[in-house]
Amino acid sequence: MSQVSKLSFVDGKLGAPTSGQQTTRVLFNTIENPGTTSSLTFFRSFQGLTNGQTNLTQNKLDSMESMVIKTIWLAQFFSSGSLDTFGGFVQQTVSIIVGNQTVVKNLPIQFNQGVAGQAFDRLHENGGTLNQQVNSSATVQNVQPAEIRLLTDIVIPPQVAFEVRIDSNSGVYGSGAVVCALAGYGKIFSAGNSF
Amino acid sequence: MISAQDKILHVANKLGLTSLKDMQASTGAVYDVDTELSGTIFSQASRHANPSVTNINENQFEVNEALLVETVAFYVKDGSGNVVNFQGVYGSQAVIVFDLIIGNKRTIKETPVFAAGSPFTFANTSNQTKPLGGDLLQCFVPRHQVYMEGAGILIPPQIQWYVQYTIFNVITGDIIAPTDATALGCYLFGTKVNLNFNTSI
Repeated sequence: MSQVSKLSFVDGKLGAPTSGQQTTRVLFNTIENPGTTSSLTFFRSFQGLTNGQTNLTQNKLDSMESMVIKTIWLAQFFSSGSLDTFGGFVQQTVSIIVGNQTVVKNLPIQFNQGVAGQAFDRLHENGGTLNQQVNSSATVQNVQPAEIRLLTDIVIPPQVAFEVRIDSNSGVYGSGAVVCALAGYGKIFSAGNSF
Repeated sequence: MISAQDKILHVANKLGLTSLKDMQASTGAVYDVDTELSGTIFSQASRHANPSVTNINENQFEVNEALLVETVAFYVKDGSGNVVNFQGVYGSQAVIVFDLIIGNKRTIKETPVFAAGSPFTFANTSNQTKPLGGDLLQCFVPRHQVYMEGAGILIPPQIQWYVQYTIFNVITGDIIAPTDATALGCYLFGTKVNLNFNTSI
């Protein structure tokens, strides 16, 4: 089933509107100064974040909006602005919770970012070198964000709370910021001829 | 998955564009740079040099021409007129948040493009550089693109479109203002419909 069909199928099952502008949707959320922790939760807190740190104001989509998640993207930044490996080099897992249901459960992410070079998909480059050195203007990037392309389409229906949880054993996330983006196909509200 | 051709014909049918199906299918891209630093791209293309800044005369297609947007990409045009990588100028912490507006409708909404390398852009180009005081090492040139998932978005004939954007620092949330030497450019790439006179002239 294609992502377009799946979104229509799930929206139909839930009685949600299936009309609306079809588009590509990327949701993102930032956690500032996460430090060292065993658990990070994205899309839970929006307080104090600007439009450059998140494009949501609550952890649910609007009443006429829904989306299919195709990709999970994770990045960690030094406070200086350059990119770091997400959570260092230790193994971590990602879970996505939609409503009261865990739809992605403890999926390991470390393979997909880095130096191990064992990404799940075949198109991924090896994700970076061990050398973190950048030049004085910090315009050279030695690492890549971690990204996992999902094999099964995950639907976020309208007005259902969701969050992304990262678990580790004392992951080192630094004093800059960590960012999570969920990207895929979605529908946004379209007034059409209803106004 | 709906094909590009099917989507074009579906939208054309909805809009009553009965002759679009007789036109030449092709591949195309349009580009422009926000040299005015106004926060919009394509809206002032008519004032820009062609082809150094843009390849369109106005931000709408002529009769029976259309573009199904399948990829949106951003780049920087520096003070010398060179096309350079966004991350190389703004640093990895920058993020573009943009909308694509067609007519009076927002069709792509508050979508982030991360300087560090956006979602969907697995196949990054590698590069070699020598950091100050360091050895030659491998680095990445991140890509700043949005590959449309599931369905492209059609820009119909004779409808104005533009991209509205703001650049932020994703760590602090502050707005980063472009300058004349760091003006932001954008291209829209996809299946194009070109005017074809075969049956009319």
